[in-house]
Amino acid sequence: MTAINNSGSAAQPSGGQMANVRFGVYTQPAPVAGKTVREVREQFSKLWGIPSDAVAYKGKEKLAEDHVITASDNIEFHRRAGEKG
Amino acid sequence: MNEQKRFVLIGAGGIGTWLAAGLARLLEFKYPGSALIIVDGDNYEEKNKERQSFTQMGNKAIATANELTQQFPKTMFIPVPKWVVSDDFKGVADDESPKIPASQLITEGDVVFAVVDNFAARKVLFDAASNLTNVDVFTGGNDDALFGSIYHYQRRHGADVTDHPVNTHPEYDNPPDKNPGELSCQDRAKIEGGTQLLATNMAVAAFLLGRVQKTIISNQSPDEAEIYFDLGIGKSEPYDRRPVNQPAYS
Repeated sequence: MTAINNSGSAAQPSGGQMANVRFGVYTQPAPVAGKTVREVREQFSKLWGIPSDAVAYKGKEKLAEDHVITASDNIEFHRRAGEKG
Repeated sequence: MNEQKRFVLIGAGGIGTWLAAGLARLLEFKYPGSALIIVDGDNYEEKNKERQSFTQMGNKAIATANELTQQFPKTMFIPVPKWVVSDDFKGVADDESPKIPASQLITEGDVVFAVVDNFAARKVLFDAASNLTNVDVFTGGNDDALFGSIYHYQRRHGADVTDHPVNTHPEYDNPPDKNPGELSCQDRAKIEGGTQLLATNMAVAAFLLGRVQKTIISNQSPDEAEIYFDLGIGKSEPYDRRPVNQPAYS
Protein backbone atom coordinates (compact mmCIF):
# COMPACT_ATOMS: atom_id res chain seq x y z
CA MET A 1 0.00 0.00 0.00
CA THR A 2 1.24 3.46 -0.83
CA ALA A 3 2.19 5.61 2.12
CA ILE A 4 1.45 9.32 2.22
CA ASN A 5 4.18 11.61 3.45
CA ASN A 6 3.83 15.12 4.79
CA SER A 7 4.38 16.79 1.41
CA GLY A 8 1.30 15.16 -0.08
CA SER A 9 3.42 13.07 -2.43
CA ALA A 10 3.35 9.32 -2.57
CA ALA A 11 6.32 7.60 -0.96
CA GLN A 12 7.72 5.45 -3.73
CA PRO A 13 9.54 2.15 -3.61
CA SER A 14 12.96 2.50 -5.15
CA GLY A 15 14.24 0.58 -8.15
CA GLY A 16 11.97 1.33 -11.14
CA GLN A 17 12.82 3.83 -13.83
CA MET A 18 10.98 7.11 -13.73
CA ALA A 19 7.88 8.18 -15.59
CA ASN A 20 5.64 11.16 -14.97
CA VAL A 21 2.16 10.55 -13.57
CA ARG A 22 -0.52 13.24 -13.74
CA PHE A 23 -4.12 13.71 -12.67
CA GLY A 24 -5.74 17.14 -12.60
CA VAL A 25 -3.73 19.43 -10.34
CA TYR A 26 -1.41 16.59 -9.35
CA THR A 27 1.80 15.65 -11.13
CA GLN A 28 4.70 13.56 -9.90
CA PRO A 29 7.71 11.75 -11.33
CA ALA A 30 7.58 8.20 -10.02
CA PRO A 31 9.50 4.93 -10.53
CA VAL A 32 6.61 3.23 -12.32
CA ALA A 33 8.28 2.10 -15.56
CA GLY A 34 7.47 -1.58 -16.05
CA LYS A 35 4.13 -1.31 -14.28
CA THR A 36 0.76 -1.50 -15.98
CA VAL A 37 -1.73 1.35 -16.13
CA ARG A 38 -3.94 -0.60 -13.73
CA GLU A 39 -1.13 -0.90 -11.19
CA VAL A 40 -0.25 2.78 -11.36
CA ARG A 41 -3.89 3.79 -10.95
CA GLU A 42 -4.16 1.59 -7.87
CA GLN A 43 -0.99 3.12 -6.50
CA PHE A 44 -2.20 6.70 -6.86
CA SER A 45 -5.98 6.38 -6.63
CA LYS A 46 -6.34 6.80 -2.89
CA LEU A 47 -3.86 9.66 -2.69
CA TRP A 48 -5.25 11.67 -5.58
CA GLY A 49 -8.81 10.40 -5.83
CA ILE A 50 -8.47 8.97 -9.32
CA PRO A 51 -11.78 7.34 -10.31
CA SER A 52 -11.63 3.65 -11.18
CA ASP A 53 -12.89 4.41 -14.70
CA ALA A 54 -10.50 7.28 -15.43
CA VAL A 55 -8.95 6.69 -18.85
CA ALA A 56 -5.16 6.90 -19.04
CA TYR A 57 -3.57 8.83 -21.89
CA LYS A 58 -0.08 9.23 -23.28
CA GLY A 59 -0.56 12.38 -25.31
CA LYS A 60 -3.77 11.75 -27.25
CA GLU A 61 -3.26 7.97 -27.17
CA LYS A 62 -5.69 6.12 -24.90
CA LEU A 63 -3.89 3.42 -22.97
CA ALA A 64 -5.31 -0.01 -22.19
CA GLU A 65 -5.41 -1.19 -18.59
CA ASP A 66 -2.63 -3.70 -19.24
CA HIS A 67 -0.41 -1.23 -21.12
CA VAL A 68 3.08 -1.32 -19.66
CA ILE A 69 4.59 2.05 -18.89
CA THR A 70 8.09 2.75 -20.12
CA ALA A 71 10.74 5.07 -18.77
CA SER A 72 10.16 8.80 -19.35
CA ASP A 73 6.52 8.28 -20.34
CA ASN A 74 4.12 11.05 -19.46
CA ILE A 75 0.99 9.28 -18.23
CA GLU A 76 -2.13 11.31 -17.62
CA PHE A 77 -5.22 9.95 -15.96
CA HIS A 78 -8.20 11.83 -17.31
CA ARG A 79 -9.64 14.39 -14.93
CA ARG A 80 -13.10 15.54 -15.92
CA ALA A 81 -13.17 19.24 -16.71
CA GLY A 82 -15.09 21.70 -14.57
CA GLU A 83 -18.68 21.61 -15.76
CA LYS A 84 -20.66 24.37 -14.15
CA GLY A 85 -20.55 28.09 -14.45
CA MET B 1 -2.43 51.17 -34.87
CA ASN B 2 -5.80 50.66 -33.27
CA GLU B 3 -6.67 47.01 -33.65
CA GLN B 4 -10.32 46.17 -33.07
CA LYS B 5 -11.56 42.84 -31.76
CA ARG B 6 -14.79 40.89 -31.71
CA PHE B 7 -15.22 38.98 -28.48
CA VAL B 8 -18.21 36.65 -28.10
CA LEU B 9 -19.24 35.70 -24.56
CA ILE B 10 -21.70 32.82 -24.26
CA GLY B 11 -23.08 32.62 -20.75
CA ALA B 12 -23.62 35.57 -18.41
CA GLY B 13 -23.96 33.67 -15.17
CA GLY B 14 -21.65 32.70 -12.33
CA ILE B 15 -18.46 32.90 -14.37
CA GLY B 16 -19.76 35.06 -17.19
CA THR B 17 -20.67 38.16 -15.21
CA TRP B 18 -17.18 38.41 -13.73
CA LEU B 19 -15.55 37.59 -17.03
CA ALA B 20 -17.67 40.18 -18.85
CA ALA B 21 -16.45 42.88 -16.48
CA GLY B 22 -12.84 41.94 -17.23
CA LEU B 23 -13.28 41.60 -20.97
CA ALA B 24 -15.03 44.97 -21.14
CA ARG B 25 -12.04 46.62 -19.52
CA LEU B 26 -9.58 44.88 -21.83
CA LEU B 27 -11.50 45.98 -24.91
CA GLU B 28 -12.13 49.52 -23.69
CA PHE B 29 -8.50 50.27 -22.95
CA LYS B 30 -6.54 47.91 -25.23
CA TYR B 31 -8.80 47.80 -28.28
CA PRO B 32 -11.18 50.80 -28.30
CA GLY B 33 -13.95 50.53 -30.86
CA SER B 34 -14.23 46.77 -30.37
CA ALA B 35 -17.36 44.70 -29.76
CA LEU B 36 -18.36 42.34 -26.98
CA ILE B 37 -21.30 40.17 -27.99
CA ILE B 38 -23.08 38.72 -24.96
CA VAL B 39 -25.23 35.65 -25.53
CA ASP B 40 -27.62 34.13 -23.01
CA GLY B 41 -31.24 33.01 -23.25
CA ASP B 42 -31.73 32.88 -19.50
CA ASN B 43 -33.05 35.48 -17.05
CA TYR B 44 -31.54 36.75 -13.81
CA GLU B 45 -33.32 35.79 -10.63
CA GLU B 46 -32.88 37.27 -7.17
CA LYS B 47 -31.22 34.08 -5.94
CA ASN B 48 -28.46 34.50 -8.55
CA LYS B 49 -27.05 37.49 -6.66
CA GLU B 50 -25.17 35.18 -4.32
CA ARG B 51 -22.62 34.50 -7.08
CA GLN B 52 -23.44 36.74 -10.04
CA SER B 53 -22.90 40.45 -10.59
CA PHE B 54 -25.95 42.30 -11.95
CA THR B 55 -28.17 45.24 -11.02
CA GLN B 56 -31.03 44.72 -13.47
CA MET B 57 -33.47 41.85 -13.65
CA GLY B 58 -34.57 40.30 -16.92
CA ASN B 59 -32.61 38.61 -19.68
CA LYS B 60 -28.97 38.11 -18.73
CA ALA B 61 -27.50 39.18 -22.06
CA ILE B 62 -29.56 42.36 -22.24
CA ALA B 63 -29.05 43.31 -18.60
CA THR B 64 -25.28 42.79 -18.75
CA ALA B 65 -24.91 44.67 -22.03
CA ASN B 66 -26.94 47.59 -20.64
CA GLU B 67 -24.81 47.85 -17.53
CA LEU B 68 -21.49 47.68 -19.40
CA THR B 69 -22.60 50.18 -22.05
CA GLN B 70 -23.03 52.80 -19.34
CA GLN B 71 -19.51 52.22 -18.03
CA PHE B 72 -17.47 51.71 -21.19
CA PRO B 73 -18.43 54.09 -24.01
CA LYS B 74 -15.63 53.09 -26.40
CA THR B 75 -16.83 49.50 -26.62
CA MET B 76 -19.95 48.20 -28.33
CA PHE B 77 -21.92 45.70 -26.24
CA ILE B 78 -24.35 43.65 -28.29
CA PRO B 79 -26.85 41.44 -26.45
CA VAL B 80 -28.08 38.25 -28.05
CA PRO B 81 -30.89 36.95 -25.79
CA LYS B 82 -30.85 33.49 -27.28
CA TRP B 83 -29.79 29.93 -26.55
CA VAL B 84 -26.96 28.52 -28.65
CA VAL B 85 -27.83 25.29 -30.45
CA SER B 86 -26.11 22.99 -32.90
CA ASP B 87 -26.54 23.53 -36.63
CA ASP B 88 -28.55 20.33 -36.96
CA PHE B 89 -30.96 21.16 -34.13
CA LYS B 90 -34.42 20.11 -35.26
CA GLY B 91 -36.46 21.42 -32.34
CA VAL B 92 -38.79 24.37 -32.30
CA ALA B 93 -37.60 27.90 -31.52
CA ASP B 94 -40.58 29.43 -29.75
CA ASP B 95 -40.86 32.95 -28.37
CA GLU B 96 -39.89 31.79 -24.89
CA SER B 97 -36.78 29.97 -26.10
CA PRO B 98 -35.22 31.89 -28.99
CA LYS B 99 -32.21 30.07 -30.40
CA ILE B 100 -29.19 30.75 -32.58
CA PRO B 101 -27.08 28.08 -34.30
CA ALA B 102 -23.44 28.23 -33.23
CA SER B 103 -22.20 28.64 -36.80
CA GLN B 104 -24.32 31.77 -37.20
CA LEU B 105 -22.95 33.22 -34.00
CA ILE B 106 -19.20 32.90 -34.37
CA THR B 107 -17.10 33.85 -37.35
CA GLU B 108 -13.52 34.17 -38.55
CA GLY B 109 -11.18 35.95 -36.15
CA ASP B 110 -13.53 35.80 -33.19
CA VAL B 111 -12.36 35.32 -29.64
CA VAL B 112 -15.07 33.17 -28.07
CA PHE B 113 -15.74 32.53 -24.38
CA ALA B 114 -17.96 29.55 -23.66
CA VAL B 115 -18.80 29.78 -19.97
CA VAL B 116 -22.07 27.93 -19.96
CA ASP B 117 -22.84 25.32 -17.32
CA ASN B 118 -22.82 22.17 -19.42
CA PHE B 119 -20.50 20.21 -21.72
CA ALA B 120 -23.08 19.78 -24.48
CA ALA B 121 -23.36 23.47 -25.34
CA ARG B 122 -19.59 23.91 -25.16
CA LYS B 123 -19.12 21.06 -27.60
CA VAL B 124 -21.49 22.77 -30.03
CA LEU B 125 -19.27 25.84 -29.94
CA PHE B 126 -16.01 23.89 -30.24
CA ASP B 127 -17.41 22.00 -33.21
CA ALA B 128 -18.51 25.21 -34.94
CA ALA B 129 -15.08 26.72 -34.33
CA SER B 130 -13.36 23.67 -35.81
CA ASN B 131 -14.79 24.69 -39.20
CA LEU B 132 -13.18 28.13 -39.06
CA THR B 133 -9.69 29.09 -40.20
CA ASN B 134 -8.67 31.47 -37.40
CA VAL B 135 -10.48 31.46 -34.09
CA ASP B 136 -9.91 31.18 -30.34
CA VAL B 137 -12.38 29.46 -28.03
CA PHE B 138 -11.84 29.70 -24.30
CA THR B 139 -13.96 27.71 -21.91
CA GLY B 140 -13.98 27.21 -18.19
CA GLY B 141 -16.05 25.56 -15.53
CA ASN B 142 -16.07 24.43 -11.95
CA ASP B 143 -17.69 21.88 -9.71
CA ASP B 144 -19.70 22.58 -6.58
CA ALA B 145 -16.62 23.05 -4.47
CA LEU B 146 -13.22 24.65 -5.06
CA PHE B 147 -12.11 22.77 -8.18
CA GLY B 148 -12.18 24.27 -11.65
CA SER B 149 -10.49 24.14 -15.02
CA ILE B 150 -10.11 26.14 -18.20
CA TYR B 151 -9.32 25.20 -21.80
CA HIS B 152 -8.12 27.20 -24.81
CA TYR B 153 -8.84 25.83 -28.27
CA GLN B 154 -6.97 27.80 -30.93
CA ARG B 155 -6.98 27.50 -34.72
CA ARG B 156 -4.68 29.35 -37.11
CA HIS B 157 -4.41 29.05 -40.88
CA GLY B 158 -7.02 26.29 -40.89
CA ALA B 159 -5.16 24.02 -38.46
CA ASP B 160 -5.47 23.27 -34.77
CA VAL B 161 -2.79 25.03 -32.74
CA THR B 162 -4.23 23.32 -29.68
CA ASP B 163 -6.29 20.15 -29.77
CA HIS B 164 -10.05 20.05 -29.94
CA PRO B 165 -10.90 18.98 -26.37
CA VAL B 166 -12.67 15.82 -27.50
CA ASN B 167 -9.18 14.36 -28.00
CA THR B 168 -8.47 14.23 -24.28
CA HIS B 169 -11.90 14.66 -22.69
CA PRO B 170 -14.56 11.95 -23.11
CA GLU B 171 -17.12 14.30 -21.53
CA TYR B 172 -16.87 16.52 -24.61
CA ASP B 173 -16.97 13.58 -27.00
CA ASN B 174 -20.14 12.20 -25.40
CA PRO B 175 -21.55 14.90 -23.10
CA PRO B 176 -23.27 13.45 -20.03
CA ASP B 177 -25.56 16.49 -19.85
CA LYS B 178 -28.01 18.25 -22.15
CA ASN B 179 -27.69 21.59 -23.87
CA PRO B 180 -30.38 23.62 -22.06
CA GLY B 181 -30.99 25.55 -25.27
CA GLU B 182 -32.22 22.34 -26.85
CA LEU B 183 -34.63 21.53 -24.01
CA SER B 184 -38.18 22.71 -23.47
CA CYS B 185 -38.80 25.46 -20.92
CA GLN B 186 -40.24 22.86 -18.55
CA ASP B 187 -37.24 20.54 -18.81
CA ARG B 188 -34.82 23.44 -18.53
CA ALA B 189 -36.47 24.55 -15.29
CA LYS B 190 -35.77 21.14 -13.79
CA ILE B 191 -31.98 21.49 -14.16
CA GLU B 192 -30.40 22.00 -10.78
CA GLY B 193 -28.02 24.91 -10.47
CA GLY B 194 -25.99 23.11 -7.84
CA THR B 195 -24.20 24.76 -4.98
CA GLN B 196 -21.36 26.54 -6.70
CA LEU B 197 -19.04 28.90 -4.87
CA LEU B 198 -18.37 32.52 -5.70
CA ALA B 199 -14.62 32.11 -5.23
CA THR B 200 -14.43 29.31 -7.77
CA ASN B 201 -16.53 31.18 -10.34
CA MET B 202 -14.26 34.22 -9.98
CA ALA B 203 -11.12 32.08 -10.17
CA VAL B 204 -12.24 30.55 -13.47
CA ALA B 205 -12.82 34.05 -14.83
CA ALA B 206 -9.39 35.17 -13.60
CA PHE B 207 -7.60 32.19 -15.17
CA LEU B 208 -9.37 32.88 -18.47
CA LEU B 209 -8.37 36.55 -18.37
CA GLY B 210 -4.81 35.44 -17.75
CA ARG B 211 -4.85 33.28 -20.86
CA VAL B 212 -6.30 36.17 -22.89
CA GLN B 213 -3.53 38.42 -21.62
CA LYS B 214 -0.86 35.95 -22.73
CA THR B 215 -2.24 34.54 -25.97
CA ILE B 216 -4.37 37.34 -27.41
CA ILE B 217 -2.97 40.61 -26.09
CA SER B 218 0.67 39.45 -25.95
CA ASN B 219 0.23 37.01 -28.88
CA GLN B 220 2.28 34.29 -27.24
CA SER B 221 2.02 30.56 -27.86
CA PRO B 222 -0.83 28.80 -26.01
CA ASP B 223 1.50 26.23 -24.47
CA GLU B 224 -0.63 25.89 -21.35
CA ALA B 225 -3.93 25.35 -23.14
CA GLU B 226 -5.56 23.59 -20.21
CA ILE B 227 -5.20 24.51 -16.57
CA TYR B 228 -6.69 22.66 -13.62
CA PHE B 229 -6.89 24.37 -10.25
CA ASP B 230 -8.05 23.58 -6.74
CA LEU B 231 -8.47 26.55 -4.44
CA GLY B 232 -8.88 24.23 -1.46
CA ILE B 233 -5.30 23.01 -1.62
CA GLY B 234 -3.84 26.02 -3.39
CA LYS B 235 -2.64 24.20 -6.49
CA SER B 236 -2.89 24.72 -10.22
CA GLU B 237 -1.39 22.65 -13.01
CA PRO B 238 -1.00 23.55 -16.70
CA TYR B 239 -1.24 21.01 -19.53
CA ASP B 240 0.22 21.42 -23.01
CA ARG B 241 -2.54 20.45 -25.46
CA ARG B 242 -0.76 21.29 -28.69
CA PRO B 243 -0.87 18.48 -31.24
CA VAL B 244 2.21 16.32 -31.53
CA ASN B 245 4.58 17.63 -34.21
CA GLN B 246 3.00 21.05 -34.02
CA PRO B 247 5.29 23.49 -35.87
CA ALA B 248 6.74 26.43 -34.00
CA TYR B 249 4.22 29.09 -33.11
CA SER B 250 3.98 31.94 -35.58
